[in-house]
Amino acid sequence: MEVGFIGLGLMGRPMALNLLAAGHRVHVWSRRRESMRPLLDAGASDCASAAEVARRAAVTISMVSDAPDVEQVTLGADGIADGAGAGHVHIDMSTIAPAAAQSIAAGLAERGIVALDAPVSGGEPGAIAGTLTIMVGGDEGACARVQPLFEAMGKSITRIGEAGAGQVAKACNQIITGVGVAAVAEALNFAARSGADGTKVREALLGGFAYSRILENHGQRMLERNFRPGFKAWMHQKDLRIVMGEAHRLGVALPAAAATAQLFNGMIGCGMGEDDSVAMLKLLERMSGGVGA
Amino acid sequence: MSATEGRVEGGAMRVGFIGLGVMGEPMARHLRAAGHALAVWARRPQSAAALVAEGVPLCATPAELAARSEVVITIVTASADVEALAFGAQGLAEGFVPGAIHVDMSTIAPATARALAERYAARGVGWVDAPVSGGGQGARDATLAIMAGAEDDMLERVRPLLGALGKRIVHIGPPGAGQVAKACNQMIMVSAIQACAEAFRLAGAHGVDKAAVLRALAGGSAGSRVLEVMGAKMVARDFAAGVEARLHHKDFAILMEEAARLGAPLPVAAQVWQQLDALMGAGWGRDDTASLLRVLEG
Repeated sequence: MEVGFIGLGLMGRPMALNLLAAGHRVHVWSRRRESMRPLLDAGASDCASAAEVARRAAVTISMVSDAPDVEQVTLGADGIADGAGAGHVHIDMSTIAPAAAQSIAAGLAERGIVALDAPVSGGEPGAIAGTLTIMVGGDEGACARVQPLFEAMGKSITRIGEAGAGQVAKACNQIITGVGVAAVAEALNFAARSGADGTKVREALLGGFAYSRILENHGQRMLERNFRPGFKAWMHQKDLRIVMGEAHRLGVALPAAAATAQLFNGMIGCGMGEDDSVAMLKLLERMSGGVGA
Repeated sequence: MSATEGRVEGGAMRVGFIGLGVMGEPMARHLRAAGHALAVWARRPQSAAALVAEGVPLCATPAELAARSEVVITIVTASADVEALAFGAQGLAEGFVPGAIHVDMSTIAPATARALAERYAARGVGWVDAPVSGGGQGARDATLAIMAGAEDDMLERVRPLLGALGKRIVHIGPPGAGQVAKACNQMIMVSAIQACAEAFRLAGAHGVDKAAVLRALAGGSAGSRVLEVMGAKMVARDFAAGVEARLHHKDFAILMEEAARLGAPLPVAAQVWQQLDALMGAGWGRDDTASLLRVLEG
């Protein structure tokens, strides 16, 4: 397929490369031209604006940091809506608030464009390996049409419901992973402060009811004290801010997520924002009188 | 003409007032009683009816009110309301002459207060953020605690007006600083309401006399103004608003968002926020924040 891609960062670049590798023709544009270089070298075509990307491809994808960025590349000046023809499908794979996704989808619908929200889970390793989990909200027919594109980037693809539903699923994902990282960090810090070998504790627990991917992967990195991102703490904090804002709007209590969000605030305040989320272990150590035995 | 020309005699000032709610109306009356020349604007004219019947001029737009006032005081609900009043169509900024001052006594985001102060400064118009604590009772008794964010000279010019509304006026710092103090106030106060709710939930679970617990605690080291006022409401199961819980809920969204932006962990406030979310979900937003007790009763 002819597909446009905007947002060639840590996640977007390998996703776009996987689209090329699967035989799709990829058209790219970026505010920062140097971020396009790896894609152009791999055979993607160079566009002068988001509008031009949409003129050349019937399907466009955005992978940017926040709702205002999505709005800018879709509905802003020289944006996708300015170049898109009838029946164009735009897929936003960024993580933004469900309400923002719905409002952008409505704005695009007025311009004759079908919008899908398709945020992902799996981090940079998943983006590189093409094994992302993709959660889709929006029109069922459009979702089916772009399935080959999703399959080039991910392995578990689920349509959750109408516009915004993909972002709701992503918010749920961030609640579970955020609280999960905090739980694993607390457990390993508690083990160390109690004089127990964290490596053995993790090993034992992996066989039991506390097993989780987070205990397995994040737990391992905590034990190795490998705090390189991965998924940066400030990004997880941003995602939890979206979640807490939605909970506020809906009148839904999320006490565990709220506690976790405060730990992320503490990490940002201590200058750990660029570390991986697993650096939460370091914060807990500071809150417990230093690194354990 | 400049804002200081045509001043009414004896230190009295031409004052505009917007936001004639439970807090605003008694505050406007105190200003009038202190001898200031009061005029008002209201989005819903009926909210100004009582004052208009007593001879207070009602302006057609905020701009018209600003044009005839040395100082305009606003006390409304949200950041967006203050922004619209100030710089929306026919807003205050269109009417203010250089030297005039906007005193905002609403509870809004510090960042909004700072941004409005800057926009006004570019036009030679002054700004004071002066949020209050003390509720409807404090407004009626003119005993509000007022926390001000402003440049020194601006605050000095409006100090006589604030003096008619409250007994304690503290200059916290430059524009926005008053709102920071107010955020701290809300955090301590609502967290204390939650602590009272939990205490009376525990007393209730044991089946002991809550009124007796309240009487006993009032004299001890857990004694506080919140315990006295909100504890009494909880014991009496009087959930009619004093201050509507939805306003505290709104305040928490502001202060928690600022904490996230600044990287400041607020673990207790975060939990109180969730209890307020649950309160809103239960449909008690227009009731008193003493309803935090009902959240714990499930």
